[in-house]
Amino acid sequence: MRRHRWLASAVAVLTAIAGVGLVAPALAQNPVKIGVLTPLSPPGDAAAGQFIVRGAKMAADDVNARGGVLGGRKIELVVEDDSGTPEKGVAGFRKLASQDRAVAVIGQFHSSVMGAVQDLAEQFKIPVFSTQASAKGITERHLAYTFRTHVIDPDRVTIWNRWIKQQGFKRVAVLAENTDYGVGVVEDTKKLFKTMDVAAELKTVMFDRAVVDLTPQLLEIKSWKPDLLINVGVGTPVYLILKQASDVALFPATPMLVSYDLPARPEFWKNLGEKGTYVTFITYYHPTMKLTPRGEAFRTKYREQFKEDPVYGALNGYAQITLLADALNAARSEAGESLVKALLASKFEGWNGTISFTRGEGPYWQQWTPPMLFMQYTRPEQVFTEAKIIFPPELKTGDLLMAPKK
Amino acid sequence: MDAFLLSQYVLSGLVIGVIYSLMALGITFIYGIMKMINWAMGEFYMIGSYVQYALLATVLGPGRWWIALPLTMGAVFVLGLVTQRVLLRPMYVRGIERRDEYATIVTIALMVLFRNLAVVLGGPNQYAPRDYARPTTLLTLPISGNRFVALIATLALLALFYLLVKRTWIGTAFRGAAQNRVGIQTAGVDVLRLDMLAFGVGVALAAAAGALLAPDFLVYPEGGAISTFKGFEIIVIGGLGSILGSVVGGVLLGLIEALGSVFFSAAYKDLYGFVFLIGLLVIRPTGLFGERERTV
Repeated sequence: MRRHRWLASAVAVLTAIAGVGLVAPALAQNPVKIGVLTPLSPPGDAAAGQFIVRGAKMAADDVNARGGVLGGRKIELVVEDDSGTPEKGVAGFRKLASQDRAVAVIGQFHSSVMGAVQDLAEQFKIPVFSTQASAKGITERHLAYTFRTHVIDPDRVTIWNRWIKQQGFKRVAVLAENTDYGVGVVEDTKKLFKTMDVAAELKTVMFDRAVVDLTPQLLEIKSWKPDLLINVGVGTPVYLILKQASDVALFPATPMLVSYDLPARPEFWKNLGEKGTYVTFITYYHPTMKLTPRGEAFRTKYREQFKEDPVYGALNGYAQITLLADALNAARSEAGESLVKALLASKFEGWNGTISFTRGEGPYWQQWTPPMLFMQYTRPEQVFTEAKIIFPPELKTGDLLMAPKK
Repeated sequence: MDAFLLSQYVLSGLVIGVIYSLMALGITFIYGIMKMINWAMGEFYMIGSYVQYALLATVLGPGRWWIALPLTMGAVFVLGLVTQRVLLRPMYVRGIERRDEYATIVTIALMVLFRNLAVVLGGPNQYAPRDYARPTTLLTLPISGNRFVALIATLALLALFYLLVKRTWIGTAFRGAAQNRVGIQTAGVDVLRLDMLAFGVGVALAAAAGALLAPDFLVYPEGGAISTFKGFEIIVIGGLGSILGSVVGGVLLGLIEALGSVFFSAAYKDLYGFVFLIGLLVIRPTGLFGERERTV
């Protein structure tokens, strides 16, 4: 009887060892899934989402080529389309968290979507990254699983207020869409005009994001005679404002500042033709920038693969996946809590500098901000790499060029 | 009030109202003959803009929009015929009890299908054909050449449509079907074939609006949404089923939005039309030119 017991124990131990031997390689092969939840169809800014996905995929390939994460496991991206709408964003996040078991989610572009999914990130304990969503409320809520490596709207408004003061503009009109982003930017502009002592008069006009005929709004602005118009549309509305402002002879006679880097995209001139000339826009990357070795390697590979210069969305998508890979290795775990600890404790190589997350005050919570530049196209079909930097003064390569009077 | 600015707003409202009435005319024409609402009308507008862009970008070259326009209308007319024959005709021949619900479900499903097809085939990005004409001035209003072309083409299409309905045999048949579907069958008219033609003509009008506005309003999968919205607003103002109502309703909507923008704020432009619509429905539930249903 005792002998039988001994035999049974030995068989059990051997079976367990054999089992571990069989299961361990299988576990090692299990990929670590990271979600890319981004706009890939209208009404979202689908082109932006495509660039983010490009960068993220190249990052996953790089990480996997270097041996993966957590002792040899591959990174697998699961791409979901949020269409720039909160309801689709929430559905996409739920799928990534519960069905795909993603360990983190990047790619957030629209502030209203990011605002909707960050509560789910808390619930599922999965870090979510804003790749280009800039509303200050996103990080102002001080949520443990929300991170951002993009500018915050008050900073965006601060820099354009500095530019307005430097240029001596006296009447500034803001045409903004009625989204979290547009409303937030208008509120910040009103507030910071006072606190920064901007001497200019301010007129703000809101429009519905779905509207295609903006002629009445532009005629109202034109009759007010501004000397600067700030275009706070996202995606299609940016083009509609530019086209229709040109049609009612408001632009380029009145300079226009586009609030983000859409004009840097290759399709800009295809959609606008010569109506895009003289536009000024905010960007976060310029081809003459010195990048980190990681950023430089990405830029070289991107140029080889796509025969064009990368745009900021691709660089940021790339940086977020690589920093997540580093954080997974530092945490030695894919658990959300460990990942957050590692993200807060470590420093990461980004595309143009070192990224670190601290829990600062207000919106500076788990936030890293890239540089902001103002660029201007001064001739039709001008390539992005040849556009001049006109602000800030320490980086500028040219001055704001006014369109010749007709 | 600045009279110059007022005139600019009014002209701008009238121009866009006339162009949107093309869309409304398509909706109301289909309703008049087939007694069903085509909820996918905006998607035929969107398809029109894509076909126009594709023709100009690949086959015809950017300057030949006037050749592309009839080709686009023809292509969407054929698509309309096929859609009606395959998906909508069964509800007239198989004696379906809840015909309105059937038509609603089928056309909403078409809406989703066409939008997704546009994403699959054309990608999610925006496109824009090159401008049809140089910017110009209409009295006091600086206007894009595209919109001026769209205005003239719309007026021409409205005139053609009027001639078709009033001066041709098929037009007489259409008017007969609009008045009494059973009565016209006793006169030997194939009302099912008439339905097919009416659907084709209606969606071709929407496609013309899409093609004409493509350079100004861009080409993208959801591009037809706002014009459908305006189209339905116009037909309710003008009276469902009334061709005259759809033209007058379009002009009136444009005017109301313009005046609201002047006297209140341009930011709420789309609200003024709805306030007017609600007020009108309270006083005159059939719209301006609509008639009460008479059944025997």
